[in-house]
Amino acid sequence: MDTDNVVSINNLYKKFKSFVLDIPSLNIPKGFATALIGENGAGKSTFINILAGVRLDYKGTIDYFNGEKEEKVIRENIGYTGPGNYFMPHWTIEQIADASGLLFEKFDKDRFYGICKLLGIEISGIQKKNKGFNKLSDGMKMKVVLANVFARETKMLLLDEPASPLDPLMRDKLCQMIREYLEQGNGGNSVLFSTHNIADMENVTDYAIIMEKGKIAEQGFVEDLKEKYILVKGENEDADKVKDILFSIQKSNYGFEGMCLAEDIDKLAGLNISKEIPELSQISIAVMKKYTQLM
Amino acid sequence: MRIMQNSGVPIYQQIAGQFKEDILAGKFKQGEFLPSIRGLAKDLRISVITTIKAYEELEKNGLVTAVQGKGYYVNAQDSEMLREQHIRKMEEYLLNAISAAKIANVPDSELINILKMLIETEESGK
Repeated sequence: MDTDNVVSINNLYKKFKSFVLDIPSLNIPKGFATALIGENGAGKSTFINILAGVRLDYKGTIDYFNGEKEEKVIRENIGYTGPGNYFMPHWTIEQIADASGLLFEKFDKDRFYGICKLLGIEISGIQKKNKGFNKLSDGMKMKVVLANVFARETKMLLLDEPASPLDPLMRDKLCQMIREYLEQGNGGNSVLFSTHNIADMENVTDYAIIMEKGKIAEQGFVEDLKEKYILVKGENEDADKVKDILFSIQKSNYGFEGMCLAEDIDKLAGLNISKEIPELSQISIAVMKKYTQLM
Repeated sequence: MRIMQNSGVPIYQQIAGQFKEDILAGKFKQGEFLPSIRGLAKDLRISVITTIKAYEELEKNGLVTAVQGKGYYVNAQDSEMLREQHIRKMEEYLLNAISAAKIANVPDSELINILKMLIETEESGK
């Protein structure tokens, strides 16, 4: 499919003591929700921090919004949330709203309070008890941070593990907020979020980037990935014949299960197997396992 | 529109199938635009790429045409073509019925009567 890109990355390289982030080339499609999937320590946060401008000590080039050069414009159009605390610990919801209004031109205070209400954040309650941001639970903190970023008019959201501290109900709400954001932009708004629990976010993911040990192990539109891979199940007597064709094979007393590239499926002709379209979470796990073996 | 998450039929095929029915039933007029891809994704609580895939499927079947930046509109001429396809399929089944009737020595008049009867039963069943 032909799509424009919201971000284009070339020769991105960042080295820590024992970790290297190395992305020769990567495009993030414009107008879609992209999931950055990978295990802990795969480099997801480092990557998002670089994109968000939190981290500036890297090599390579990043092009935003199709050649936008003005740093202020880029910053104003990106909404970032991460796991760290970036509000002062004693700030109340109102003080957060005031500060955001000063920091960003297109911050809509009424909208912020509206989203807070929608997410069940009690604004006056916190004020009365003089409860600061750092007194909130992790889930509540994330809700305030998300309300803050969705209250701005932006073109791209970079959300680092937004779902992790949220309960299932709130994860569902977050997915719906992402869909609404994409709809409002009418193809102009994009979202990149990282997650290590893709099953919760699968229904909102358009494009997936699977990261392993600082490298991109796999990427593509979810519907294309579901055609690229086939989940194969069969009997143990055939397990030996498939071991070089399938990867991420799991065996039990009742048979085997493994991932197969669609282009290799003809090699399994004649075997008593059943084929299934894999879920994104199953593809992710299989790709991660394969990559770990290769290293 | 009802979407089954675990029916075994890919979601994009479910969506394409239901739009196909609606278009052939005349619920969408020729030239009318289908819901926007991102709007439909929001309403059905699914990903944008799944709705795109569903619409692309309809385009492949010649039911709709994509217009860059505007969406997908219902294609009248191609619906006509699809009707043709159905008529061809119908003729094929009828030919099968005729050859089966020949094998069973069923006279033409009785074959026609059976067809009439089947149509009546089908209609009364609705």
